[in-house]
Amino acid sequence: MNRRTYLKSALILGSLGMASLSVFKWIDITKPVDPALLWSKKDIIGELAELIIPETDTPGAKSAGVPDYIINVLLNCMDIKKQNKFCTGVKDLEAYSINNYGKKFLDCSATERLEVFDYFAQHAGFSYRILNRINNKFFGEPFYLTLRDLTIEGYCMSEKGATQGLAYDYIPVNYNACIPLQPNQKSWATK
Amino acid sequence: MYISGNIKELNTYDAIVIGSGISGGWAAMELCKKGLKTLLLERGRDVEHIKDYPTANLNPWDFKYGLNNTLKDREIDPVQSNSYDPSTKHFYVSDADHPYIQEQPFNWLRGYQVGGRSLVWGRQCYRMSDLDFSANLKEDIAVDWPIRYQDIAPWYSYVESYIGVSGQKENLTQLPDGEFLPPMELNCIEKHLADSLKKNEYNRLLTIGRVANLTRGWDHRGPCQNRNLCHRGCPFGGYFSSNSSTIPAAVATGNLTLRPFSIVTEVLFDPENQKAKGVRVIDALSNEVYEFYSKVLFINASTIATAGLLLNSVSPRFPNGFGNDSNQVGHNLMDHHSSAGAYGLHDQFKELYYKGRRPCGFLIPRYRNLKDGEELDFKRGYNIQGHGERQEWLDRSHNLNGFGKDFKAQLTSPGDWTIWMAGWGECLPYYENRVALDDLKKDKWGQPLLKIDFSFKENENKMMVDIQNTSAEMLENAGFKGVEVFNYKKPGGTTVHEMGTARMGHDPKTSVLNKFNQVHAARNVFITDGSCMTSSSCQNPSLTYMALTARACDFASRQLRNGGL
Repeated sequence: MNRRTYLKSALILGSLGMASLSVFKWIDITKPVDPALLWSKKDIIGELAELIIPETDTPGAKSAGVPDYIINVLLNCMDIKKQNKFCTGVKDLEAYSINNYGKKFLDCSATERLEVFDYFAQHAGFSYRILNRINNKFFGEPFYLTLRDLTIEGYCMSEKGATQGLAYDYIPVNYNACIPLQPNQKSWATK
Repeated sequence: MYISGNIKELNTYDAIVIGSGISGGWAAMELCKKGLKTLLLERGRDVEHIKDYPTANLNPWDFKYGLNNTLKDREIDPVQSNSYDPSTKHFYVSDADHPYIQEQPFNWLRGYQVGGRSLVWGRQCYRMSDLDFSANLKEDIAVDWPIRYQDIAPWYSYVESYIGVSGQKENLTQLPDGEFLPPMELNCIEKHLADSLKKNEYNRLLTIGRVANLTRGWDHRGPCQNRNLCHRGCPFGGYFSSNSSTIPAAVATGNLTLRPFSIVTEVLFDPENQKAKGVRVIDALSNEVYEFYSKVLFINASTIATAGLLLNSVSPRFPNGFGNDSNQVGHNLMDHHSSAGAYGLHDQFKELYYKGRRPCGFLIPRYRNLKDGEELDFKRGYNIQGHGERQEWLDRSHNLNGFGKDFKAQLTSPGDWTIWMAGWGECLPYYENRVALDDLKKDKWGQPLLKIDFSFKENENKMMVDIQNTSAEMLENAGFKGVEVFNYKKPGGTTVHEMGTARMGHDPKTSVLNKFNQVHAARNVFITDGSCMTSSSCQNPSLTYMALTARACDFASRQLRNGGL
């Protein structure tokens, strides 16, 4: 083993050792995310968003343009910690899929995808709200929650989501304070 | 700067108004209508009604990042970005260009443009009453107001009749009725809470907000289209702003000269006749310095900026700042608190809904300390402002679990009825809550930065506890479930009701302005923005500023005619 390889190994070993320490975690999640990396995950992000808001008799997340919205908002509006948690989350999900099903997430069947995603939904946070808040504050919000909130927001504010998934009233003119709920009434897209 | 006779003549007006926001717009209109050649100075850019409302007709999907501010926005504008979003950002200043010093956390939210914050105000219009005007005297706090309700009542009517205020008469002494357009309507959950308050005989009532939104066409404007996008500027003129109403009216007289990008740095004092002779201005774009002269001067720069301007206007006669013989300029800064309240869900009325986006909520007028001898651990009071609605996607996203078809169905259908309500509370005038100039730090025009030292104190904090208790009590007695109290603990400034840094009073030794908003020591200078307030009441204050402005303009023009100024 030459000196260079030795140093490299030592560094790697050292880093691995520190990975369990929160100090390392802190440094890791505060460096900027590579936009190209995130954009390369657009397909899988689209499939995940579609699992949250699938196409039914109204459009789903994918056709409403939610994947682009998620990536744009993440890169430009969300703090670095959230961005990193999100990227790590996608990687973890891909790894989980390979470890448990022996294939990439995008190659999984519909049922398998649902199982994988459900695992992440179940492990998104502590069951005590206060612990979640503390955890979110120091380590960033769990990937699943960021994905879910951005999917909802992106869908409900998209043209298809607002006008077909929900009820959009561009210029209401009047305010009708108390009216009977119509059958299959969608809620209003804006308030 | 050398001023030749000719330029001096060109730069001379009958009146100068500093600031074009909600009170400055009124001053400009009133003075112009009375035939005075008036110069309106605004430190920001021009904003023309309709033409300069770029986001007013956009859909939610027209914003690439939704209504999320970018990381860069938050870095450049750490204060303003808490209040703006991509649909309203253009009506707020940049913190980077216009810094100030927070000696304690204080959100100084500003809109430097023609129209000022009248483009983004909450539009609630409430009259103050003698409960408010006499409170300081009764409790021996600060100084007495030099006016009472009867002095200002006709001016409230005058202003309301012009701007158009929708509301419901309720015949309450603590919240006098006004000249109202038809009220907006309460929805079924709000009516339910109103009925419950009646039944419980608390001596409390719930009424629809009184707002400067037009329920029918008025003065070539409106009616309100119930879009609830007021803060983007309204192309229908559905609500009152300087831009939609007073400034066009001032322009129509032919007497107005509007000069945007004009940062007024000093009021110039003429020691010979003990009056102001004009102002010094820096052109915000060219950095050139100008002087403008007039017989009468109205300062309407907004509370904190007005205090800064007075403090920066130093002369041998006024070594501590213009009109500051009392050493009260900059002190007694107030802002309402609106952090504490309660929230609850109701499991009935599931078959009912609403259509349209009403641009106001409800009001439960002040019900505390209305009579002497109430045994509460705080002075003064608060009103409750809130709104009822069914949970929509934005509320449901935090409460619904799961994903998939069922989740989508729930997300996109109306949820439970909810009511959110919070107390808008009076803040006492404390001498130590103040605005001052920094000795060293300057802005990019070389003007000293303002330092703001403000905190809510024991009385306000005790009041917030009472707000939580009574709010929760009212909701629980009306059958709401999952009632939760909250206190967001937002710092001063957040309610954007700054007041009190150049207070009115009888005595020049303890106040800056007299009962007609004249500077005691320079009778041709009037200050009618929030800085004139002697106490804060708990009523939203803009209507009072407008009424005091119209009253002072009437007084000033009569004095000018009689040779009294």
